[in-house]
Amino acid sequence: MLKLIIPTIMLLPLTWLSKKHMIWINTTTHSLIISPIPLLFLSQANNLFIHSPSFSSDPLTTPLLMLTTWLLPLMIMASQHHLSNESLLRKKLYLSMLITLQVSLIMTFTATELMMFYILFETTLIPTLIIITRWGNQPERLNAGSYFLFYTLVGSLPLLIALIHTHNTLGSLNIMLLTLSSPSLANSWSNNIMWLACVMAFMVKMPLYGLHLWLPKAHVEAPIAGSMVLAAVLLKLGGYGMMRLTLILSPLTKHMAYPFLMLSLWGMIMTSSICLRQTDLKSLIAYSSVSHMALVIAAILIQTPWSFAGATILMVAHGLTSSLLFCLANSNYERTHSRTMILSRGLQILLPLMAFWWLTASLANLALPPTINLLGELFVLMASFSWANTTIALTGLNMLITALYSLYMFITTQRGTLTHHIKNMKPSLTRENMLMFMHLFPLLLLSLNPNIITGPTP
Amino acid sequence: MYTAMTILTLISLIPPVATALTNTNKKSSYPHYVKTIIASTFMVSLLPTTMFMCTDQETIISNWHWTATQTLELSLSFKLDYFSMMFIPVALFVTWSIMEFSLWYMHSDPNINQFFKYLLIFLTTMLILVTANNLFQLFIGWEGVGIMSFLLIGWWYAREEANTAAIQAILYNRIGDIGFILALAWFLFHTNSWEPQQMLLLNTSSNFLPLAGLLLAAAGKSAQLGLHPWLPSAMEGPTPVSALLHSSTMVVAGIFLLIRFHPLMENNQPIQTLTLCLGAITTLFTAICALTQNDIKKIVAFSTSSQLGLMMVTIGINQPHLAFLHICTHAFFKAMLFMCSGSIIHNLNNEQDIRKMGGLFKTLPLTSTSLTIGSLALTGMPFLTGFYSKDPIIETANMSYTNAWALSMTLIATSLTSAYSTRMILLTLTNQPRFPTLININENDPSLLNPIKRLTAGSLLAGFLIINSIPPISPSQTTVPLYLKLTALSVTLLGFLTAFDLYLLANKLKMKNPSHTFRFSNMLGFYPNTIHRTIPYTSLLMSQNLASLLLDLAWLEKSMPKAISHHQISASTTISSQKGMIKLYSLSLLIPLSLALLLIV
Amino acid sequence: MNPLAQPIIYSAVFAGTLIAASSSHWFLTWVGLEMNMLAFIPILTKKTNPRSTEAAIKYFLVQATASMILMMAILSNNLLSGQWTMTSTTNQYSSLMILTALAMKLGMAPFHFWVPEVTQGTTLTSGLLLLTWQKLAPISIMYQIFPVVNTNILLTFSTLSIMVGSWGGLNQTQLRKILAYSSITHMGWMMAILPYNPNITIFNLTIYIVLTTTAFLALNLNSSTTTLLLSRSWNKLTWLLPLIPSTLLSLGGLPPLSGFLPKWLVIEELTKNGSLVIPTIMAIITLANLYFYTRLIYSTSITLFPTSNNVKMKWQFENTKPTLLLPTLTVLTTLLLPIAPLMSPAP
Repeated sequence: MLKLIIPTIMLLPLTWLSKKHMIWINTTTHSLIISPIPLLFLSQANNLFIHSPSFSSDPLTTPLLMLTTWLLPLMIMASQHHLSNESLLRKKLYLSMLITLQVSLIMTFTATELMMFYILFETTLIPTLIIITRWGNQPERLNAGSYFLFYTLVGSLPLLIALIHTHNTLGSLNIMLLTLSSPSLANSWSNNIMWLACVMAFMVKMPLYGLHLWLPKAHVEAPIAGSMVLAAVLLKLGGYGMMRLTLILSPLTKHMAYPFLMLSLWGMIMTSSICLRQTDLKSLIAYSSVSHMALVIAAILIQTPWSFAGATILMVAHGLTSSLLFCLANSNYERTHSRTMILSRGLQILLPLMAFWWLTASLANLALPPTINLLGELFVLMASFSWANTTIALTGLNMLITALYSLYMFITTQRGTLTHHIKNMKPSLTRENMLMFMHLFPLLLLSLNPNIITGPTP
Repeated sequence: MYTAMTILTLISLIPPVATALTNTNKKSSYPHYVKTIIASTFMVSLLPTTMFMCTDQETIISNWHWTATQTLELSLSFKLDYFSMMFIPVALFVTWSIMEFSLWYMHSDPNINQFFKYLLIFLTTMLILVTANNLFQLFIGWEGVGIMSFLLIGWWYAREEANTAAIQAILYNRIGDIGFILALAWFLFHTNSWEPQQMLLLNTSSNFLPLAGLLLAAAGKSAQLGLHPWLPSAMEGPTPVSALLHSSTMVVAGIFLLIRFHPLMENNQPIQTLTLCLGAITTLFTAICALTQNDIKKIVAFSTSSQLGLMMVTIGINQPHLAFLHICTHAFFKAMLFMCSGSIIHNLNNEQDIRKMGGLFKTLPLTSTSLTIGSLALTGMPFLTGFYSKDPIIETANMSYTNAWALSMTLIATSLTSAYSTRMILLTLTNQPRFPTLININENDPSLLNPIKRLTAGSLLAGFLIINSIPPISPSQTTVPLYLKLTALSVTLLGFLTAFDLYLLANKLKMKNPSHTFRFSNMLGFYPNTIHRTIPYTSLLMSQNLASLLLDLAWLEKSMPKAISHHQISASTTISSQKGMIKLYSLSLLIPLSLALLLIV
Repeated sequence: MNPLAQPIIYSAVFAGTLIAASSSHWFLTWVGLEMNMLAFIPILTKKTNPRSTEAAIKYFLVQATASMILMMAILSNNLLSGQWTMTSTTNQYSSLMILTALAMKLGMAPFHFWVPEVTQGTTLTSGLLLLTWQKLAPISIMYQIFPVVNTNILLTFSTLSIMVGSWGGLNQTQLRKILAYSSITHMGWMMAILPYNPNITIFNLTIYIVLTTTAFLALNLNSSTTTLLLSRSWNKLTWLLPLIPSTLLSLGGLPPLSGFLPKWLVIEELTKNGSLVIPTIMAIITLANLYFYTRLIYSTSITLFPTSNNVKMKWQFENTKPTLLLPTLTVLTTLLLPIAPLMSPAP
């Protein structure tokens, strides 16, 4: 695993030693070179101990690692314009924050010890907080940063207590060991509270409906790289943690899941119908993230092999798609200086290639076959259908609304007549087109062979 | 041998899509290139179809293992049975003609290359749908045609109406997709497979739920009552799109799905009845709507919807082969009807209102001829194409032990078909011209004439050819008394006469206030007014007021972050409001004393 | 202050602490505490102004009261047991009185009122001594008598301290007061674990001293005493901008910084002793601490203050204050967690 962590850490000296005009190209290239490394982990057994006792990867970790490492070059590419007016020092600081975040994310995903996982899980907060609050645009970003930090912290402190308690009683917090030897917890009040404490941290992170208020704020106020990494990776941290911990807490999930399943299914409808009325582009994408993540929560709580496969696929697919949407929203924002959709309508005439990216992004978001988004959603739908037939009414309705708001977003921004105030818009840059392509490319490639991201297959 | 040929047919559609960016074909323009490819593909596809007719051997091609989860294996697999083998050449033929027609119709469009590419991608997805031997693969094609229809309806994207129609189409299709997903989930859950063979094997007593899902999917795609309004709205797209997608290929996908899953449906009585009634109501309702429309494309669109209803009825009476026959024959004359109306619209400078036409049979002789032939074929005039499918349908319906209301509704709709066709013909082609005199009418372009001619020939002959190729067992040979044999013809004639009479009456009498029946028909049964207003209004209001304002911005915000911060603020002001007086500090000594008393004593 | 008096005073302060910490005889301990307290008063009034005088008087009164209570407890203990050794404090009433007296000296919850005001009244360096060095003697006494301390009352005191420290700091803009409230919270954490594992208390104290020293030294560079002044430091001392957030977040106890380490150990020890609710409450209330630190971070390094501080002509002068310790201390403040196994106290 060090072959992944050490090169990523070495990005820091690279950033600080690079010359002024080489800084972007150096970091992008180096991080791109790092990004195929997780592919090596694909050819391995279904075993957490294969690399080292402390940092390792299994079929659940590897897709998320792939996503994480792939996203760093994209984030660096996306932020170039945003930082073009800043001094060299600040650019380097910004890049260092991204790289620190990357390192902590990689280590979080690969940690085999739950305490280690917890500490690194919290570590990701600091660089993210700084990225959101330091480089965001509006003054509301401070509020958003506090929401982000404190929702996560309040949610995760009970987890810390629960983990320490488990450590004291069982003597180990090794994920593998706990999963294999987990004593089946009796259905008692204290165990139920323990379940809540363990899962709540990730419910907040995902986020579950009701605990999601930080997400639209943070996504909207964050700079582009912040939005990208939040939507693409940080939310997946919640899903990852939940998949790890619910296995350990095995028999309790069956009955504890009901309220949360209901809440997430209901919240899925609520958040996607909020999307229908959004005028703010980034907010729409953020709420769409909440609604997609609700599906993931439902899938994880159902706890069948199908649903786990669906959740993993959906996490990867949503990571790429929502990051792509944020990039597109940002390229609009850099030209119109507004997040309001109605102010940037009719862009297809001006930027036809960008319109193509918008179209594909919207289609991926509404899960058009044969993208992996559909595969993920389909698996989740199947799993929830087999859990209770009636869920198809809610999930089906959500599919409908998702299609509607995705296309509503596409039509509002791209179709229609051009307004006068955006006529002297700059053309899209090769960098931006490359960025969009690099988002779509793995989506399409993964559609060819989705087996590698179906997660843990017991 | 014929499997290889079929694959060749399918594969030969890929290069034009792939080479769209590279522009390798220097000699001719891209649209011509695409048209040629489609034409040659059609020629090629005739061979495997002929071979299939001779050998009558169903085949499944499975290659390329796509993905496997715990129990399910998905692979790329094609099913070459009668339906797909027959549909491929028909679709290719119609597409070929429409591509050529688009050369003429869209020649001034700057994005004509893109238009052709879209049509081509649409055709590819349609063929994927038809040949799929796997529910998932079918779903790929199913969604593919939906999205291509979205893009093509919204082709003139600066127009608000086009965008609305496009999103409407997606909305109704998605409602259908819920049914499809339901069926997918049910089949996976109960039969652990998405391959029709295995599903059939394991599922002897078919269940209501998945079939209802499939019916919902079919109703969405094929614009059955309740989910029908997108089809007339889709006429906002360019005419070639209406001709290809919204009459001959995409909209029949729903019927095709039901045909594919007919073996499951035939034993399930409730579904059969549901299908029958849905089809009958649709065919009647849309025929009534067609009666008073003034937009020429809308008339043809409603007639399409009505014919789709008829196909549904056919499935409802357990005759999938007849339904399929009607799909094939319908493709020819309906595509041609659209082309003719396209020719008229284009020549009259984008005028679609039939009240502003008239007398066109002198100026557009070929179009008029074809329009008449097409309408006659549509009404089921003996020995034209429509007759071969429509007549058996009515006969079989008459003979089968079935719902009399549904049957009579179908008969009325059949009669109305001829009524609105006659009305359209009379208003557009006969009498004095009512269009501005300065319009330059011209139908000399071969790319307009050839496709119309080809499809006219198809409308004359295709039915005869196709009915002869049907396996002899399937449409049950009916022996019927004379009066039943003549029912179809007589109701059609009745329709002709009524329309003619009404037309003459309408010519003589002065205008009077429209009656309620007229209003009902002209306002499309008030369906769009009520449904398209209330449901979006309530749901959008709900999402704004309940989801966004009440829950998200008020309750959740107030109950968690705001409440916590409020409590923190009050706690902190209580604690830190000290005056700095030492005597108060000394008083705090009392606290541990009382605490000690409490804890120790 | 007279430069000649300074070494005498400082040595008296240190000697007092050392005497109190190292003696096992109650009387000598008391003497040490008194020496320390009396010698500290000139340090508090280093800059002579009414506020520092007031602070000194308050400090004197509170500490003298505490000493008197302590003396009384010692005498009553002696009366009942006839022993002067610290470890043989057997009477629960006198141990209760000792606890009260020491809590007063440490500035724990119900007796916390003097801490913010005294800290606010003095200079930053005196404040640093007040909040770090002055805790040593009472805590060392606590360390010695921990078996006889009433656990319930101590836990009540410490929970109250955590609450008071967290909520009191929310309402402040004065940096010294904020740090004083933070010290109250930290005292709460230290004392909560004392009955179970006093070694962790000592460890916690060490980390706390390191963190607080870093914070005070960083603030001292610019003599910033309010949030406003701190927010103006960005164009004077740019390198302070990354330093202040890391120090403050560490003080707030955010993993993976050093400040998380004592919290982790305390929670671990408390859960080991079967208590789950109290550490949860403690940890969650301490988040308010983190909140006012993030507010400081926002104004210092996240947002740039709209006006530059050329009004005060600060930027013209070279910085003359020593920064020798700061780099080492910053490293200690942020990066201690990975080497935690090397330094975690014996159980």
